[in-house]
Amino acid sequence: MNVDLEEFRTAFVAEADEHLAAAQSLLLAMDRTLKERSGDGVQRELRELLRLLHTVKGLSAMVGVEPIVSLSHEMESVLRTAERGGGIVDEPTIEALLEGTRAIQSRVRAVAENRPVPAPAADLLAALRRLEPPAPASLGEIKITDEVAAKLGASEREQLRSGARAGRRALRVDFMPSASQAAAGVSITTIRERISTLGEIVKVVPLSPAGGLVFALVVLTNATNEQITEATGIEAVTELMAPSAPVPATFEPEVEKEEEATTEGARGVLRVDVGRVDAAIELLGTLVVTRSRMALAVDRLEKAGADTRELRAIMTDHARQLREVRSAILRVRMVPMTAVVERLPLVVRGLARTNRKKVRVLVDVASAELDKTVAERLFPALVHLVRNCIDHGVELPADRVKAGKSEEAVLRLEGTTRDRMVELRISDDGRGVDRAAVAARAGKPVPATDAELLDLLCRPGLSTRAEADTTSGRGLGMDIVRKVVQRLGGELTLETTAGQGTTFRVRVPLTVAIVDAFTVRSGGERFAVPVPIVEEIVELASERVVNGPSARLLARRGETVPLFNLAQALSLPNRSEPPQALVVRGSGGELVAYAVDRVLGQQEIVVRPLTDTLVASGAISGSTDLGDGRVTVVLDLLALRAA
Amino acid sequence: MTNLVKAPDSNTLVKDDTRLFVVFRVDDVDYALPASDVLQMESFTGATAVPGTASFVRGIVQLRGRVVPVVDLRLRFGLAPREPTLESRVVVAESNNRAVALLADTAREVVRIPEESEKPPPALASEGGFVRSIVQLPERTILVLDFERVIGDV
Repeated sequence: MNVDLEEFRTAFVAEADEHLAAAQSLLLAMDRTLKERSGDGVQRELRELLRLLHTVKGLSAMVGVEPIVSLSHEMESVLRTAERGGGIVDEPTIEALLEGTRAIQSRVRAVAENRPVPAPAADLLAALRRLEPPAPASLGEIKITDEVAAKLGASEREQLRSGARAGRRALRVDFMPSASQAAAGVSITTIRERISTLGEIVKVVPLSPAGGLVFALVVLTNATNEQITEATGIEAVTELMAPSAPVPATFEPEVEKEEEATTEGARGVLRVDVGRVDAAIELLGTLVVTRSRMALAVDRLEKAGADTRELRAIMTDHARQLREVRSAILRVRMVPMTAVVERLPLVVRGLARTNRKKVRVLVDVASAELDKTVAERLFPALVHLVRNCIDHGVELPADRVKAGKSEEAVLRLEGTTRDRMVELRISDDGRGVDRAAVAARAGKPVPATDAELLDLLCRPGLSTRAEADTTSGRGLGMDIVRKVVQRLGGELTLETTAGQGTTFRVRVPLTVAIVDAFTVRSGGERFAVPVPIVEEIVELASERVVNGPSARLLARRGETVPLFNLAQALSLPNRSEPPQALVVRGSGGELVAYAVDRVLGQQEIVVRPLTDTLVASGAISGSTDLGDGRVTVVLDLLALRAA
Repeated sequence: MTNLVKAPDSNTLVKDDTRLFVVFRVDDVDYALPASDVLQMESFTGATAVPGTASFVRGIVQLRGRVVPVVDLRLRFGLAPREPTLESRVVVAESNNRAVALLADTAREVVRIPEESEKPPPALASEGGFVRSIVQLPERTILVLDFERVIGDV
């Protein structure tokens, strides 16, 4: 939009909104007419709609919003055709027109918020155009656009084509088996069963992308992607065919793709690839490094006698703004806790049924939110705790009645947020943990406190099952649950009262930073170094090392790289001549090498900040648990150089 | 500080002039912290050294999922270092949202101390400001630590 048209913006948005709202209620009225008295013409409504859309087109042309002009133009053509055809419209036409008005609305919002206005989605335009000459008989060629296409035989392709011609959608549903799903009783068999209630499974293609196994189910269905996701819990549902044939109403509702309209139609929801958010956080990291260099420069200025008061004040503002930007970006990664917890009642239902127990689930997580990564890693642990409550805690209905309780047990899932931590409580009103039985199994004295009891429960391989049951031996052990929670920087606690019930309490940080890291040994200590900053790992024996007067130099590929002993740089007792070195590239592009005793391996780590003033230091980006229960320091080698 | 508690048989408040303290030994001297500030006591199995910290910081340990710094009280008090033994304990205390573990030679007691026996330290012998008060009991003397001082001023 031109700057001199800025003042018309508000007026444009208000007027367009009004016309669009009127158009939508007209379309809905037409839809009702169609359903109640099919065959009746809707001439009057069509003419009114034409008028409204024509006005929207005119307004948009005036302020130069081309995408809305072309959308409303296509819709107008559809309406003219229908008007000339005796005022008869069918359901797909109304559907497409509604879709069109929603697409225009989202673009009006873009104008209102001064964002770039996206071009109309090609499939929506195509769908509208297809409606213009009413229902052409010819079918375009259906293209199968997917890697699984290569795995399909001729008869399967034909099956897909004829299914699509009959108006069904060809989808690919990706099921990725995992320990957590196995724990929840979900396997390829159960997925097959669930999908076959919604459509026809043409083929199941096993694929093995890097480091995993995926079953791609090729499905013909009338169901929407949402219905499939709801039935299976799988979100990886993709369209298999490029619909070039006039398959009515098979286009994805456009608003879903780019911006989900909220009921208030206010701001909308944006779906963003997590990778983009992570990239932003990484960039922010480089900004923080630049900031520490800036701080050093100010220090030097001050030492040189310059008046740095104003600079210092700016630096303070800058630090605060950096923190704010960081938390704003991190907020994008937050998911509502309901999204995590809402899948648990389903798990409960299945477990209760196989165990012949009656369980009512009460969920209260209010508006608590947590980081998507935390949510994903925590979910299997939560499933296990729920399983534990139902397997061990909840009694059989008859036993409950004998104990003077109601037949139906109550399982509570509660969540709250406090002090940058989210606390989830899973509690049952069952029989409580049998201390004596746990102690006997572990071969230990009966624990006096709940904390000691939990320690016993978390001994690897401990099973407290009194009787063999169908779910035994599956899923994670309590030791794994506690490890998952602790690796996230959290805490697992237990409260149990005989005859009254058990509460598991999981406290984890709202957000975590997860990075790929090298683990190295230097000066007798173990450290983690994030992989992205490491350019290369070199064997010093096969490199040319020059002992210069002030520093050692590593000559490689025509470049001379300063070589420091990491142990020395960290003032650690330095025992040996290190054989390996990490070559690190700083933000300015310059290389530095740090010699270490040994590169131990590479793994994904959860970085927990070390904030206490006793241990906070520029060269340390935090601590992590590599999985052995000990703390490992995560080094920031870039900051080490600046320091 | 005086705690007011309810008398068992009435609704009137009565004065309870005692406080619970966790007592630990460093170099044969008894030190204490109010039990209300102490989160937990654990045996010491070694800490992860953190480069670039003060000499009295042993490193960090993970206790019940929480990562806390360990202050070696011997080094903090300027005493000769000693290798930890099976008797060594960390006393984890919290103040102003900072949890820090204090490494002591032993720790095994919780003592109820009458309030009137807690006295301010003599000005010239406050162990570098680390002692907040001195408790004189008939059979022993306990130095109550100023936790914030012990973990501050790096």
